[in-house]
Amino acid sequence: MKDNDIKIGVYICHCGTNIAGTVDVENVRDSVVDAPYVSISRDYKFMCSEPGQELITKDIRELGLNRVIVASCSPLMHELTFRKTCEKSNLNRYLFQMVNIREQCSWVHKEMKSATEKASALVYAAVCRVVHQKPLETVHVKINSNTLVVGGGISGIQAALEIGESGNKVYLVEKDSTIGGKMAKFDKTFPTLDCSACILTPKMVSVAQHENIELLSCSEIENVEGSIGNFTVKVRKKARYVTDKCTSCGDCVQVCPVEVPNPFEENKSQRSAIYKTFPQAIPNTYLIEKEDRPPCRETCPISQEAAGYVALVAQRRFEEAARLIRQQNPLPAVCGRVCYHPCESECNRQFVDESVAIKNLKRFVIDWEMRQKGRPRPPKIEKKRPEKIAIIGSGPSGLACAHDLALQGYKPVIHERLPVAGGMLAVGIPEYRLPKKLLNYEIDYIKKMGVTIKTGLALGKEFTIEDLFKQGYKAIYIATGAHKSLKMKIPGEEKFKGVYHGVDYLRNINLGKSQPVGERVAIIGGGNTAIDASRTALRCGAKEVTILYRRTRKEMPAEEYEIQAAEEEGVKIQYLVAPVEVLGKSGKIVGLRCIKMELGEPDSSGRRRPVPIEGSKHDLSFDTVIIAVSQAPEIDFIDRKALFELTKWNTLKVNQETLETNIEGVFAGGDVAWGPATVIAAMGDGKRAAEVIEKYLNGEPLKDFKTRRPKTLPKRDKDCRPHSYAPRFKDTPKKERAAMKERMPYTRRNDFEEVELGFFEEEAVREASRCLNCGICIECHECERVCEAKAIDHHMEDEIEEINVGQILIATGYNTLNSDSLVPYGYTEFENVYTSLEFERIVNSTGPTQGKIIMKDGKEPRAIGIVHCVGSRDINNHPYCSRVCCMYALKFAHLIQDRTNAEVFQFYIDMRSFGKGYEEFYSRILEEGVNVIRGKVAEVVKCGWSKQDEGALLIRCEDTLTKKYREIPVDMVVLCNAIEPQPDAEKIRRLFSISQSPDGFFLEKHPKLDPTATATDGIYIAGCCQGPKDIPDSVAQASSAAARILAHIAKGEVEVEPIQAYIDPELCAGCRLCNDLCPYRAISFIKEENISRVNEALCKGCGTCVASCPSSAATAKHFSDKQIFAEIEGILK
Amino acid sequence: MEYIYYPGCSLEASAKGYDQSFRFVFKELGLELVELEDWNCCGATYYMATKETVSLVISARNLALAEKYRGDLIAPCSSCYTILYKTNHILKNNPIMRAKVDQALKRDNLAYSLSLKIRHPLEVLVNDVGINTIASQARFRLDGVKMAQYYGCQIVRPDRGLDDKENPQMMDSLFEALGVENVYFPMKVRCCGGMLMTTYPDVGLELNKDILECAYENEADLIVTTCPLCQINVEAYQDKINKKFKSNFHIPVLFFTQALGLALGGTPKDLGLDRSLISFRLNKNSVEATR
Amino acid sequence: MNRKKQELKIPGALGKKERELRDLFLLQVSNIPGGESIKKCIQCGSCTGSCPVSYTMDITPREIIALFRAREIESILSSRTIWICASCYACTVRCPQGVQVTDIIYTLKRLALDKNIFPKRFPVYALSKSFVAITNRYGRSYEPGLILFYFLKTNPLKLMGMIPLFLRLISKGRIGFVPKKIKGTKTFSEILKEAEIMEMVVPVRE
Repeated sequence: MKDNDIKIGVYICHCGTNIAGTVDVENVRDSVVDAPYVSISRDYKFMCSEPGQELITKDIRELGLNRVIVASCSPLMHELTFRKTCEKSNLNRYLFQMVNIREQCSWVHKEMKSATEKASALVYAAVCRVVHQKPLETVHVKINSNTLVVGGGISGIQAALEIGESGNKVYLVEKDSTIGGKMAKFDKTFPTLDCSACILTPKMVSVAQHENIELLSCSEIENVEGSIGNFTVKVRKKARYVTDKCTSCGDCVQVCPVEVPNPFEENKSQRSAIYKTFPQAIPNTYLIEKEDRPPCRETCPISQEAAGYVALVAQRRFEEAARLIRQQNPLPAVCGRVCYHPCESECNRQFVDESVAIKNLKRFVIDWEMRQKGRPRPPKIEKKRPEKIAIIGSGPSGLACAHDLALQGYKPVIHERLPVAGGMLAVGIPEYRLPKKLLNYEIDYIKKMGVTIKTGLALGKEFTIEDLFKQGYKAIYIATGAHKSLKMKIPGEEKFKGVYHGVDYLRNINLGKSQPVGERVAIIGGGNTAIDASRTALRCGAKEVTILYRRTRKEMPAEEYEIQAAEEEGVKIQYLVAPVEVLGKSGKIVGLRCIKMELGEPDSSGRRRPVPIEGSKHDLSFDTVIIAVSQAPEIDFIDRKALFELTKWNTLKVNQETLETNIEGVFAGGDVAWGPATVIAAMGDGKRAAEVIEKYLNGEPLKDFKTRRPKTLPKRDKDCRPHSYAPRFKDTPKKERAAMKERMPYTRRNDFEEVELGFFEEEAVREASRCLNCGICIECHECERVCEAKAIDHHMEDEIEEINVGQILIATGYNTLNSDSLVPYGYTEFENVYTSLEFERIVNSTGPTQGKIIMKDGKEPRAIGIVHCVGSRDINNHPYCSRVCCMYALKFAHLIQDRTNAEVFQFYIDMRSFGKGYEEFYSRILEEGVNVIRGKVAEVVKCGWSKQDEGALLIRCEDTLTKKYREIPVDMVVLCNAIEPQPDAEKIRRLFSISQSPDGFFLEKHPKLDPTATATDGIYIAGCCQGPKDIPDSVAQASSAAARILAHIAKGEVEVEPIQAYIDPELCAGCRLCNDLCPYRAISFIKEENISRVNEALCKGCGTCVASCPSSAATAKHFSDKQIFAEIEGILK
Repeated sequence: MEYIYYPGCSLEASAKGYDQSFRFVFKELGLELVELEDWNCCGATYYMATKETVSLVISARNLALAEKYRGDLIAPCSSCYTILYKTNHILKNNPIMRAKVDQALKRDNLAYSLSLKIRHPLEVLVNDVGINTIASQARFRLDGVKMAQYYGCQIVRPDRGLDDKENPQMMDSLFEALGVENVYFPMKVRCCGGMLMTTYPDVGLELNKDILECAYENEADLIVTTCPLCQINVEAYQDKINKKFKSNFHIPVLFFTQALGLALGGTPKDLGLDRSLISFRLNKNSVEATR
Repeated sequence: MNRKKQELKIPGALGKKERELRDLFLLQVSNIPGGESIKKCIQCGSCTGSCPVSYTMDITPREIIALFRAREIESILSSRTIWICASCYACTVRCPQGVQVTDIIYTLKRLALDKNIFPKRFPVYALSKSFVAITNRYGRSYEPGLILFYFLKTNPLKLMGMIPLFLRLISKGRIGFVPKKIKGTKTFSEILKEAEIMEMVVPVRE
């Protein structure tokens, strides 16, 4: 069509006086008569009327118009009307342009002159624009018949059921563990007073049973893509830790030792970590609430569930505790005594006062077990594995490894160099710290599981790695420890009698060889070995024992409590002194030549390096010297033929994760791999080795296989909490840590009897009760034990499910105003001030008081004040009316009168009993004799001044009808606190790209004519997320939303404006800039032609590509640069 | 930056102790303080009640004078603080008023260009110096002393966003940091009746009876306040109250700067404690009123 | 009564006096930052409930606004309520509609003084007057003078009751014998004169 054929018709609407009142329509009409291409310009009273439209069709027919402009109201009102009119006379709807001279002119201007000018300008702009408009074809999009409903409250349930009934699929996503929402908490519902549960639960059940409804509980929306017709939604399904096998028998609750406040009861009662929100919950299964796992467990090399058995001890369930301990730990009696307990150093309790005495509690539990139950019976092992496994070294690492392998059905054989089993546990740790008897019990226990221990066989001497393979062993674990004392390499060290070395000395003592000591013994070193040696020397008859350490006490690696114990027993310690020579006469020691030290720069270990002070040499006289500076693996024993790779510290080189050595099938762990470390670390390696060997023998690949190692935990401080229900550490009441009783120093230093005496039952229970049960579920696995359906899985993890739907209904409900902020109402101060939801639970027969309306002290209140408009109709909080308070307040009044003799006072500003049967309900309550006082409560205070006194509460207000200031004494106050948007409304808004009104609720498309749709096509809202509502309104809105959704599904497709982007293949340079910029991934690159192309089905016409295209090849249909510039110029003319 | 000190009429007379202790505390904490030269009455509440423009003019005169200095204007008297603050606020928001006031000030070649910030010493100490700093500079701790923190009305109201208007915390946390045991005191922002004590004594006495009773019930050794009018009402009328209500109140009422001054090592003389009508002895961990 | 009658004749009409008071009142209210919020009062009475002295008022703070709406400003001015207000602002901070109650009461006090409409047995006015007199003279207030002035004007006998307290205050050096003056008393009164004139200037309302 050439330009000069263009014929424009302009029509100015009076809209009665709406426009004509302030705009001189004739003037506007004439202003464009002579404008280019305008063939006719008319004005008419109502263009939208039949005759009005007739005008247009007639002109199109007779004058052959091919462009039409109507200047009237907002396009929201009548654009479609006129587009249809044009189409009736075969004029493409996109050749029509609408000008808004009502909302944007007549209604906002007072003076006719300016209004008229503006109107003319707008119309002229349209004339200029319409010239460039092109005919376009509307696009049709298929509707995916699946629907997503977000939120399982009454609205969500209603909508889901209605859509499901129509035979279409519904995904119902609920954040909480059950559907039912707030309504599930209510007791009765106004005005009919029928029981909330009775009318709600049948609907909940039918949701569960409905074949078209897929319920995703404990789930939240992660991401939403696409647009009406086909949305792609990512849903995070949070782990319940209970599978569908759950029969909801509730046995687990009986055994769960954890108690946390129950949010469903508004924290007015406690619940266990494994729970079901309420009896009729849907889905009808239990779940476990877990937050970050307890630090004690996370940091333990064998991931012992410390918090678990501590909680059980607190409940005097010692047998269960022992069972739990043994599950992970083959050497509990040992660990209960000599573990260096990383758990305690990470224990959260230390941020309150002191960490929980976990080690001592473990010892208590095992001692108790021995006393009560005798020696434990090892578990029956069903599995049988043929493969032979050799373990070298019977220390903690070897034993732990053997234990775990035995559990898997293997029959490992331990080869031990020494005549006794137990490694360092047997020959390194003195009797008085770890009685051999107990150690042997544990070794027997492991043997009974089918583990063989051959003593007196040293690798490299009696046998080699090769031999073992020849003997048919399929895998070998080397855990020979670090038994070699390091020399100091000072003159005289080797020369004289009476010089011993730490570990050797202890070994020989433990093996019963005599190690004579003189009267004045010097111990050199500051580690646990040094301390052990010193205390042992005392027990062997030394008169005076002195430890010489080259740093200060602060740097001493030995455990503080052991240093103290040694000092109590009379051991002296000299700091900042180092021997440089052993002095002797005629083959016997006479003393040490020492030099004073001072602390210099920190070394690799972070401790300050000691440096000798010049000319500070001095002699000390001793007759025995025990050098306990350090120890190392005895690599020389390990057969060289095998050619092990070694580290620069002369330890076996192993793979950090899999403990593999460089030799196939040979693994190594514990001190031999890492150098001298701790019992528990060695055990950790042993267990990891077992895990790896299992895999290895199953022929699974070990490459990038990860074994569990202790986690380094995030920094915490006094402001953190153990879990979200608990108070901050700094607000947690302090409680003293139970001290371990010991034998008197002067008696104990004379023999090898155990020094520590253990806890009494009461002590243990009290100490255990200090645990903060971090992370809520502390993984005592009791639920797992009692669950007959085997439905519990503590290792479950969150899943992400992707679902495709055509339309989405958001029904995320509301939140109630946090009453803490309302100081004058004393909610935080007085215990008998309740919020409305709390009171709903109080009056609910399944609630914390079984429906009895009683005060904290259990007495029945004499009078109750119900306060309306708490935070509603208040510019300091929410200016809007919460709409339901008046009615539920009346309901409360009725229930109170019904169940108690209490006087009820209603304090209202305006009684809003709109709605069917509401006013009748009001008058019924009045008949029942409730005192209604018109006046907003100003404040709630205590009668009498001091906080303690039991005095009643005083409500201060004006009785505005008697015009009197009144103070009314009551026992209980119920606050009708405002309804407000969910705290995460903002997040939801962004996810679904809808909008919120100033009050924070989701914004509907039109407040009157389209209350359920949103500005975003295909996304609807229902219930209180759109604004405060009662149940009937929520249900009605939900149904209407369902109807809207079904209408689209029925039609199968929707028309969408063809205002997508278009890329001119002629101009496109193929730079692909737009490809990544497009938020809807609607632009793809066509290799062959080296251009980008828009996929019209996906394009939303946002214009990003248009703006970004360097060669301006991209244009937006119906909004081309030409059209927009023309329009602007038009206005400026 | 220096602070411009606007004493106000009562700090020259009935609240001399406030003036002394205030100066002492600021000196101890190393804050620079200059008294506003030739200040005049702030116009106080009763002037407000007679002639609006006039009252604004006379308090604006102070602002105009203060603008010649560099710094914020500090008014310890709650009522001066409120009036000056309000004047500043009105002049900022109401051009007509401002025009009228300027016109009047011209007579003394004065002009006010709205640049001032009006502040209360309590808030200055808490926000500019900081509670921790103050605590660290304290020479003595007030461990175990039981105080009722009486803010009165005009320091938190009308709401200027200084502190919670229903349950202010500034003084509580300040003295808590010094070891004080703050007693439960729901009357902390209750009104002392101000001039009602003179105009409608019955009402005034009753209000103050409640305040004293509350402090007594909760076993406070001291009442601490920020306002001269509160101080004199609560302190000076105890006898009258006892007579009227057959009560037996005898409790010292200090300005918060006096209590703070003690912790900073001031002598009773430095802090004008010798001026209080109810003398008391400050023992270790307790305060006992002496008759 | 006949005022009412006449109002009944012409819908929306106001008595001459009421009209005058109303205009003055609204003008003053418009000077209060946020003063217009008086129109938004929902008559909830939280002002009264928050007021520590409302129990002794003859009309409640809420009623003040009710009466204003009922076009009975005169009866507000003659109430003792506005004079009992100790301006503690409790009502203002709690008002759910942001009505500046305390400041509104100030304007009412001014209006009352201006129009000489007072309750029976009314002492406060005297206090204000004496206060003003002293401040005008010295530029600063002088408490003892103030009290003296006040009781002489109202009830000299009451003065006796004050003497013991005075003596104690004097002994503690909390009362000066001579009022403190400002230097520029002369220019000060200059300013005051001008201010008085300004007080009269009533800007035209559009």
